[in-house]
Amino acid sequence: MQIQTTRFGSVTINEKDLISIPEGILGFNDLKKFVILEDPDDLIFAWLQSCDKAHVAFPILEPEMYMSDYKARLNKSDREALGLSEGQESRAFTIVTIPTDATLMTANLKAPIIVNSQKRIAKQVVTQENDHPIKHPIFAELQQRVSKVMANAPSTSPSVSVKINKGKPAEALI
Amino acid sequence: MLVLTRKLGESIAIDDHIKIVVVQIKGKQVRLGIEAPKETKIHREEVYAAIQEQNKEASHVGSDDTKRVASLLKKS
Repeated sequence: MQIQTTRFGSVTINEKDLISIPEGILGFNDLKKFVILEDPDDLIFAWLQSCDKAHVAFPILEPEMYMSDYKARLNKSDREALGLSEGQESRAFTIVTIPTDATLMTANLKAPIIVNSQKRIAKQVVTQENDHPIKHPIFAELQQRVSKVMANAPSTSPSVSVKINKGKPAEALI
Repeated sequence: MLVLTRKLGESIAIDDHIKIVVVQIKGKQVRLGIEAPKETKIHREEVYAAIQEQNKEASHVGSDDTKRVASLLKKS
């Protein structure tokens, strides 16, 4: 299937690449179908792209990219909403905001996007932790790790994202 | 919306396991104590508003912005 995106034009994805966010993203509650896109020209960020609204996409980063000890505690209702079975791991992505001065960029640790990569269900979970800021500065931390990131990119596994194949249909990374 | 009047020290029970107590009344401020199971998420409403605001800001980021970050990171 084809989805239209403002940033990347028309992107071909498979039905199985879709990520359903039944409760929506806060402030965008009517959008339920997303896909995680990887821009081959950008080795750092991925995009949580709406399949219904071309212009709605959020730059996301896995917290491991800029900190080593991030933990989002999920409660029972979070796990149920995500369809996570007992002991099943989920993946966390944080939404990033980039102001005009990019060195002031921040990640939202308070409300990560938690993904059940098997069932492809996600939820923006508002964590109860008090030490999770909504605007956590990440530029310096990202800088420290970027050489490592560049060396390892783009091998994240198990992947839930779709690599944008410019000109050709996108293939899901396995 | 259900509206109840409570005095200092009085409380409201929600379901079987949630209790909200008026702990202090000072001018225009009310301090509430909340007893709830560990699973219950309790946030000031502003938290949700701030997250919405942050999501909106993030949705305005363009793919040029993220590439700009990548080149900034590489440079330094």
